[in-house]
Amino acid sequence: MPEIAQSGRGRRATARRMPAGDKPAGSRRSDVLDRVGRALPFLAPVHLLVLSVIVLPALYVGWLSLHASTFGQEPSYVGLANYGKILSDPYFLRSLGNTLLIVVVAVHLELAAGLGIALLFASGLPGGRFLLPAVLAPYAISEVTAVAMWRFLFDLDVGPVTLAMQALSLPAIEWSVLPMHGLIIVGLLTIWLHLPFTFIILYAARLGIPGELYEAARMDGATPAQAFRRITLPLLAPAMLIALLFRYIFAFRLFSEVWLMTQGGPARSTEVVAVYLYLEAFRYNAFGTAAATAWIMVVVSLLLGAGYIWLLRRQMVSDVR
Amino acid sequence: MCGNRILIGLGKSAAVALILAWSLFPIAFVVLSSFKPGRDIFAVPPRFLFDPTVQHYLALATTWGGFFQGLYNSLIITAGATVLAVTVSVMAGYIYSRHRGALMTGSVVFLIVVRLIPPIVVTLPLFPILNWLRLNDTHAALILLYATFFVSLGTLLMRTFIDQVPRELDEAALIDGAGRVKILTGVIVPLVAPGMLAVAVFVVVYAWNEFLFAFIFTATKAKTAPLVISEMIGSIDGVDWGVLFAASTVQLVPVLVFVALMHRYLIAGLTAGATKG
Repeated sequence: MPEIAQSGRGRRATARRMPAGDKPAGSRRSDVLDRVGRALPFLAPVHLLVLSVIVLPALYVGWLSLHASTFGQEPSYVGLANYGKILSDPYFLRSLGNTLLIVVVAVHLELAAGLGIALLFASGLPGGRFLLPAVLAPYAISEVTAVAMWRFLFDLDVGPVTLAMQALSLPAIEWSVLPMHGLIIVGLLTIWLHLPFTFIILYAARLGIPGELYEAARMDGATPAQAFRRITLPLLAPAMLIALLFRYIFAFRLFSEVWLMTQGGPARSTEVVAVYLYLEAFRYNAFGTAAATAWIMVVVSLLLGAGYIWLLRRQMVSDVR
Repeated sequence: MCGNRILIGLGKSAAVALILAWSLFPIAFVVLSSFKPGRDIFAVPPRFLFDPTVQHYLALATTWGGFFQGLYNSLIITAGATVLAVTVSVMAGYIYSRHRGALMTGSVVFLIVVRLIPPIVVTLPLFPILNWLRLNDTHAALILLYATFFVSLGTLLMRTFIDQVPRELDEAALIDGAGRVKILTGVIVPLVAPGMLAVAVFVVVYAWNEFLFAFIFTATKAKTAPLVISEMIGSIDGVDWGVLFAASTVQLVPVLVFVALMHRYLIAGLTAGATKG
């Protein structure tokens, strides 16, 4: 830009004529600042809320996890002692085991069921338009009312499902007595509440597969099983991974279903990590160990989330125009 | 071949019946039972023909008057959280849609990371802080919490929806001398109303149904309907199932109808929210 070196009068005239993107480096910084300044009032509310309600409290919990703390006592630094304490606490280990069991078993069962329903819907159903809201219905239900339903349906004395199972001479689910049965009922309940989410993600992805692919496969003489293995599964894989990661993250923070169904009982045998955290914090006032539990939850969630962000990386880069 | 098709049709019908029973039976059972005379609730096999009665609703009103206060609290909190979350999400989503660059991408990743933090984690420090601010057991506390846990998803969704509004419209308004606020309210908002509805569906369902925060941060004044129902479940004098079913019906029918009417927006939001950065 040779004109810039010319007289002051000439420079001013050039600057006025130049399009916004071609400004000299000196004014570019103030231009960026100006744009940030004008964007800030729009971004501030979201970031103020998120920082003050989620991020700073979560960081404080990380700090607290390195301190011994309870009511009426200044937190004192103890290094990783809180982590050592909970990792050697059989109750914590059991809650972690229960959480993993639900994450692994319930979430995968849910994925299989969601996939089956998505493919059934995609194969064309008469009245599918009306069936869709029916399948989504549990999404609208609160954990609390869902527990009210399930507590009655599976009641050991009067529950219709229990009685029906007895009539079919199936063993009853003694969820209030046997720990494993308690976990089964919690697993079923959490599948019931979240199946709509998994189903929708997979159904939308399945609808995104062009029909011509199946037509071409049929013309080439592929059987439906081959078409499923060679077209449906590979093209649905990204959506299945995303649904899985989301559900891992959400199943890992499971609280209400367990708390309302079994309160973690009998004898703390059906606790999950979030229930353990709640008891440490609000019943035993052991804030240090509660914070360590919380921070473990944060780290595990972020690790799972890193997988999610990695899956979306290409899209995010392509978004940067 | 023809027989095969009939078999497939039968199999499909059976599968659909099973799926419908799975999703709808628990809900239908509770709603129907709330109108059954006391003894019929426990009838074996379950009775589908009965003389409908509102006795449980009357009992609900006389023995659990707090439930209606809870409904009122839920209504205020849901409305407040929805308005707050949608408003700030549209504002931020607009900027994220119209500006690109490393800073913006980093900022989007930050919002995704925020979504990953489990809500129970923040109860630990927020409990004393809200106490100190005298916000415990108030509508404001739950409105702030519920809105905040959805503004990151809301912002990302609004960015996706605003991306579909051509920038030329902004520029035309700019030439007409409109400021940013004017462009947002006059041009963008009318065009992305369906997207705002999608965000609103998420927040409404969450705020109306939420249990954990209501359980920890309310005591008497701001108790929400789900919390009152949880107290009925845990009632020490034994559960009065008829009353519990009546309360559950009152709590779930409005949001169920809402979701059924809005299911298109819910699906749009769910798919965009999971697969968009």
